Amino acid sequence: MVGGVFLQQTTTANASATTGPTLLPETIAGVLGGNGILVDVVSGFIAAFIVANIMLVMTAVAGPWAKRKITAAFTDRIAVNRVGPFGLLIIVADAVRLLSKELVVPDDVDRPAWDLAPIVLPFSALLGFAVIPMGSGLQLADPETGLAFVFAVASIASIGLVMAGYASNNKYSLLGALRSIAQNIAYEIPLVITAASVVIFAGTLQMSEIVAAQTETFVSVAGVSIPQWYAFVNPFAFVLFLIANMAEIGRNPFDIPEAPTEIVAGYQTEYSSVYFVLFYLGEFIHIFLGGAIMATLFLGGPAGPVLPGFVWFVIKIWAFFLFTQWARSAVPRVRIDQLIEIGWKGMLVLSFANLVLTAIIVGVIA
Amino acid sequence: MNQWIAIGMLGVVGVALPIGMMVASALIRPRVPEQGKTATYESGEVPTGTARIQFNIQYYMVALLFLVFDIETVLIFPWTVIYRSALAEGVSLSKALVPMLVFIGVLVVGLVWAWRNGAVSWVTSPRALRRKTERQQ
Repeated sequence: MVGGVFLQQTTTANASATTGPTLLPETIAGVLGGNGILVDVVSGFIAAFIVANIMLVMTAVAGPWAKRKITAAFTDRIAVNRVGPFGLLIIVADAVRLLSKELVVPDDVDRPAWDLAPIVLPFSALLGFAVIPMGSGLQLADPETGLAFVFAVASIASIGLVMAGYASNNKYSLLGALRSIAQNIAYEIPLVITAASVVIFAGTLQMSEIVAAQTETFVSVAGVSIPQWYAFVNPFAFVLFLIANMAEIGRNPFDIPEAPTEIVAGYQTEYSSVYFVLFYLGEFIHIFLGGAIMATLFLGGPAGPVLPGFVWFVIKIWAFFLFTQWARSAVPRVRIDQLIEIGWKGMLVLSFANLVLTAIIVGVIA
Repeated sequence: MNQWIAIGMLGVVGVALPIGMMVASALIRPRVPEQGKTATYESGEVPTGTARIQFNIQYYMVALLFLVFDIETVLIFPWTVIYRSALAEGVSLSKALVPMLVFIGVLVVGLVWAWRNGAVSWVTSPRALRRKTERQQ
């Protein structure tokens, strides 16, 4: 109980912690009891472990199973259905298969960088989830600069891609890495500027505050009050952000860093065995991170009727995942020069127009 | 509690998880060295030369432009945070909005300049351009 009292004192002392709901490490620290830096570290570690494993489980379901099933449904096939119910045990089979493959190290690879790249990618994507409010008290941290933190951390992934591409000593890999930079620098600005237009409404960068600002009633239709989700308030920004997000995480129609029909597999051409698994893992967590940012900024975060918050959060990010897979089956890939032109001549101008218009409209109404 | 401890811990988990998987894989995977297996993949052909050569990455100007706009987003964010509360406190629109419009306007002029100079389009090499004109004839 002493720990609980101490916790309350520290939270009241810390201004940023008082505003939001209870964070996961604080809950765990309350259960553990005691105080001091050791409890902070241990509870932080346990909370981080829980969050990381939630994402790992989602990726395990999405990668080997859901992706195949969804693509199969779009192309009128059946996909995995032999191993276990609905083929679900393919997840276990694939995990064992991929981990027990021989690791082929190609000639002349730049060794430290080649080994580090598969670590950087999942690290970058996982770290983004530190500030995402997942509902039901599942939030690791809630710094005042949450939104900036997410964008900063998610961008580390491109360094991993460049490391992979350059270290592989493979022409396809190098092209994939260069394409991924071209794509990231073209769509980072529209992404951030569109997010800034949301910040104008919310007036804060703190993730829990952005979610809280969206719980107010937007309009009431026949007694049903529709919450002030920014996807309803500013659908134009929502669409812009969706497109920029797809490009940022490198999904169709913007999957040119991988482009299997052009440059084999892009930056991951030379990776096999567990390294390939880690790239795959990093990509999928990145998709979910993209979905989580969309959910937090535009879809009210974990808010929703009847079901608990975490369930709604999972539904929202899986909806985004389903959308990426839909685009994968339905939309042809853009060319690299088209990508640059869409990014710099289209998205950038539109995102600035969106920001200025939002500022003017908010200014005139307020 | 300092929240950055928890974020740091997620960073630790984010590094430990891939390393753990690498270790697990190293324990169970076979190692069968064969001649030719480690050759760089070039669609089954014998690889020609290294990939570490000098060539035109095509978007040097775009990358420079990115730096300008990226720094600018850093300057826009603080404004977006205080904009609405400043208006609510009665700061006039000319003081809260117009300076930012001027700032964005300057950048847009810069973008227009870069656009007209062809900096934001994919650079076509002289060789590719020649091939294209040959095709058209």
